[in-house]
Amino acid sequence: MPLNIDFVQLLLHMLNFVILAGGLSLILFKPVRKFMKEREERFKKAKEENEKAAEENALLKAEYEKKIAEANEEIQELRLTAEQDAADQAKEYLDAAKEKAQEIIANAEREAEERKDHILESAQNEIGELVIEATQKLMKETAGEAENRALYDEFIRVAEENS
Amino acid sequence: MKEKMSKGKKLFLIIWVALILVILALILILGLPPKETESIKEVMKDGVLHDLNKMNFFGLSVNPAVISAYLVTAGLLLLAVLIRVFAIPKFKDVPGKFQSVIEKLVEFFWDMAKGNSHHRTNFIAAYIFSAGVYIFFSTIFELFGVQWMTAAGHSMALPAPIADINAAIAMGFTTFGMILVSGIVANGPKGGLRVMKDFSLPISMSFRLFGALLSGLLVTELVYYSVKLSFVLPVVVGVLFTLLHAIIQTYVLATLASVFYGEAVEPPKPKKEKKKK
Repeated sequence: MPLNIDFVQLLLHMLNFVILAGGLSLILFKPVRKFMKEREERFKKAKEENEKAAEENALLKAEYEKKIAEANEEIQELRLTAEQDAADQAKEYLDAAKEKAQEIIANAEREAEERKDHILESAQNEIGELVIEATQKLMKETAGEAENRALYDEFIRVAEENS
Repeated sequence: MKEKMSKGKKLFLIIWVALILVILALILILGLPPKETESIKEVMKDGVLHDLNKMNFFGLSVNPAVISAYLVTAGLLLLAVLIRVFAIPKFKDVPGKFQSVIEKLVEFFWDMAKGNSHHRTNFIAAYIFSAGVYIFFSTIFELFGVQWMTAAGHSMALPAPIADINAAIAMGFTTFGMILVSGIVANGPKGGLRVMKDFSLPISMSFRLFGALLSGLLVTELVYYSVKLSFVLPVVVGVLFTLLHAIIQTYVLATLASVFYGEAVEPPKPKKEKKKK
């Protein structure tokens, strides 16, 4: 044959390559390809799941935010009410305290007045008794009854004028 | 200061040793009488025709390339089995270095097959993967210079299998046959006919492979033949004509095979569409 082409060797080379191609495909190419394909699918699935989860998360987040906003509003309202209540109560307390204070003052004034009157009265009585005693003593020692009476009247008059 | 001195010293030492080596080499080269066992003509002729160094392959007298081819196949299959048994079960979702290399290789041929043939991609991908790996490693194989006994009794370095015209033709015709059969399987006799119209494909494929590998082989043979050129040049030439050829030929054959395969297995276009056009 020209160029030293030899059919037996040509077939030997073909056989060699067929063996190699089959072997490599089965042993190396397909398992690796299978592994890569499976991984690709796994990642794709994981990606889809992630996206779904992200969507759900976004929804949940929106819901939570809404709820939080509502709660905040509620809290604000409650606080306002509470403040109002507190102010009202404080005013009530204050008013009550003022009233009580005024009452106390009034009581005290009245009591003081009473006590003053009482003191005055008892003082007058005591003075009167003292005077009578003194006068009796004096009278026993000195004057008659008529003079006594005149003196006594005089004293009362003066005392009345002074009081 | 000290560093500078040591640097200067180093440079001096390198130049000095290099000078001695160059002078010694020149003396050796010029002083040796040319002792040639084979004339350059014989080396070249053997490079093309392989009719000198026959080897024994299970009782058959064959060219060294047959031995190379089977050694490469045995090595690759062994490697594949090792990877299958030890590496693939341990593959992780986030690949390590080794896994990345394997995956990249598979992915490269898969993408090429997918890009050129949209139907029945699995088969052609596996085929061009095998063909690519075979051509690449059988070309690289030449660099290892594996020694083998010839039938005559002396040892020689095994060549790249594809540098033998028989291997190149086998490769071309196997690929063509694969495309033809796939066309018939996919589209019936019509598909077969469609492939047959590219009847020059196997011949061009075979001779492209053979020519490319042979040219590299001849240039390297030439360079290796001359002692005077055997200092730095063989490294450059070896890399250029072996590694680059390996990569380029792998790419070319894989692309061509997948393109023609894609055409062969493509389902026929509906007639309505043709009328519209």
